[in-house]
Amino acid sequence: MNTIEVTNISKSFGSQKALDQVSFEVKPGEIFGLLGPNGAGKTTCIRIILDIFKPDSGSVKIFGNGMKEENKDLIGYLPEERGLYQDIKLEDCLVYLATLKGLSKAESLERINKYLVRFNLDEHKKKKVKELSKGMQQKAQLITTLVHNPKLVIIDEPFSALDPVNTQMVKDILREQRDLGKTIVMCTHQMHQVEELCDRLVLINQGQTVLYGSLSEVQKKYAGHSIHIRTGDHISETFPGIKAIQKLENHNLYKIDLLENISTQEFIKSMVMSNINIDQFEIATPTLDEIFIQVVTESGMNYE
Amino acid sequence: MNKTWLVIKHEYLLHVKKKRFIFAILSLPLFILLMVGVGFISVIFQYNSTPIGYIDHTGYLHDPIENSIKAPIGFLPSMEIITFTSGESAQNSLNNNEIQAYYIMPVDFLQTGKIKVFANEIPDSEINTGFTRFLRSNLLRSLPDKISNRVTEGASFEIKSTTDNRNTSEDSILGFVLPFLAGFLFIMAVNISGGYLMQAVVEEKENRTMEIMITSLSPTQLMTAKVIGNLSVGLTQLIVWILVGMIGFVSILRIYPTLQTSQIDFSFLILMILVFLPAFVMIAAMMAALGATTTESREAQQFAGLFTIPMVLPFWFIQVLMEKPNSILSIFLSIFPFTAPISLPVRAAFSTIPTWQIIITIALLISFAIAALWLAGKAFRLGMLRYGKKLTIKEIFTQRP
Repeated sequence: MNTIEVTNISKSFGSQKALDQVSFEVKPGEIFGLLGPNGAGKTTCIRIILDIFKPDSGSVKIFGNGMKEENKDLIGYLPEERGLYQDIKLEDCLVYLATLKGLSKAESLERINKYLVRFNLDEHKKKKVKELSKGMQQKAQLITTLVHNPKLVIIDEPFSALDPVNTQMVKDILREQRDLGKTIVMCTHQMHQVEELCDRLVLINQGQTVLYGSLSEVQKKYAGHSIHIRTGDHISETFPGIKAIQKLENHNLYKIDLLENISTQEFIKSMVMSNINIDQFEIATPTLDEIFIQVVTESGMNYE
Repeated sequence: MNKTWLVIKHEYLLHVKKKRFIFAILSLPLFILLMVGVGFISVIFQYNSTPIGYIDHTGYLHDPIENSIKAPIGFLPSMEIITFTSGESAQNSLNNNEIQAYYIMPVDFLQTGKIKVFANEIPDSEINTGFTRFLRSNLLRSLPDKISNRVTEGASFEIKSTTDNRNTSEDSILGFVLPFLAGFLFIMAVNISGGYLMQAVVEEKENRTMEIMITSLSPTQLMTAKVIGNLSVGLTQLIVWILVGMIGFVSILRIYPTLQTSQIDFSFLILMILVFLPAFVMIAAMMAALGATTTESREAQQFAGLFTIPMVLPFWFIQVLMEKPNSILSIFLSIFPFTAPISLPVRAAFSTIPTWQIIITIALLISFAIAALWLAGKAFRLGMLRYGKKLTIKEIFTQRP
């Protein structure tokens, strides 16, 4: 049974079409990326999954059924619009929200205090939420998302207000949650963040599905016939098999597009034969950003 | 249900624990105490117990039965009334400030009713009233006490309607004051509770906690809990005030035992509850809907005044309601849902209202309350996720969440 099944959902706000026939599935235990540029319809999609909005057409199944009140305790949600009650103490706010997810007061208090220590928020727990920085509030909100030990975690732009140290911490937590068997849906426009975390992904642009599949499938599909090579030696443009050569950085890294009639095996063989010292060699897998731009340009859509 | 209860508790305690709430609760009794205190002080400062005098040419006041006027407040000295035989001695006393005024009753007083007053400054109307009472009781002294008392006190009318067995006592001060007092308290309660509710709704929006909330419990649960929680805050405030009022009332009854004769009609109380309850829900829900459509609490508060105006409107027409309780305007005011909570009890106190009108009023109020709740629920779902963007009334009716 898939954790989430989205079938052909469409949603319009007035004359604006936010989602158009979007379908995807999220499998249990995976980190699923819901990607797209700003305004693509990601948040609308999540809100429909969570039954905050009703779709104009199409259907959503979550844990095999429509959204039910009992299911709400099994889901942890970090909304894009971060929000905590500003005028009460951090600890009280977190305990209140945790009890609304079905935890007892004593249990909430215990779990929250563990998280507060882990997130370095322990000394701020008696402060009012409005006195905390944006990053601290975001970490606090992540506690709310995870504290009731949900089976499904849905997070919208999890890294937006975080510094590199905290970004790394959140990534570690997400991996840890996956290892605990949780299903995670991560919604973001920062595609490079997804590449190291996601198992599968769907890419939405202007309300439509552009790409869908596992990360490796997608990358393989869009991988061109090109390689990356790092070498101190000079490579002539006329070297056999080279269609185009491009120096990527100052550190002797080149991207080489190969002619169709030569395999990477043959090409590297001929380089070795020509006594070129190779420090590094790899098949150039395109980044999600590159794939996205390629797909969008091919399909003639606008990249906003 | 459990989650609804959690939200109710949270909303309730959030407000009740705040200093603002304690101040608000103390403000009304303190205000009333202050008003009463200022009233007392001004009476004390205005009161002048310097005696008054009179010269009687009629012969009726040669040996008066009372020779003083009671002070308006018990502990102040009463005002003496001195008999003078000649205008000269009275004028002397006036010049020496031994008296503040003197009255001359001419021989033909019984025919003309004219009395001349001499004073350095125009005397208080209270003094004239006091003197008139003194005069009256002396003129009637030859009659039996019972009769003379009845003549001075006047009669008390009790109106019996032929269609209804309810009695309206014109004289009952309580029956007269109660609808006003109840109406006033109602407006206060609605404003306070509605204000809290609107604030709670807007705060949810300002804090952007809406998504977290409705992925934890259903919008209906959340809305119900908010309405109940915040109305309870208003009710708490009201109950404290009513208790303070009752303590004050009981102590007033001890001072003026005559008031005790007035009776509160039980069916009148039931009528007020039947009118106030749906009206309360209607206005609170409308305020909540308003809160959901606006983006800032400041903006919402400006709109809140809109609801107060139609509610206070009947007070402007109070004379019509009292004197012509069955005129078309009065009937309209008591049926129209926004003016009904004040108008209906006032009308009921001064006349007997046909049952069909009461049924229409209450039915209208209940249907308006339900419609307002529906509207609030819809506006809530639609408006809550629009940060910094207003919701128009058209959208509430046409758009799906």
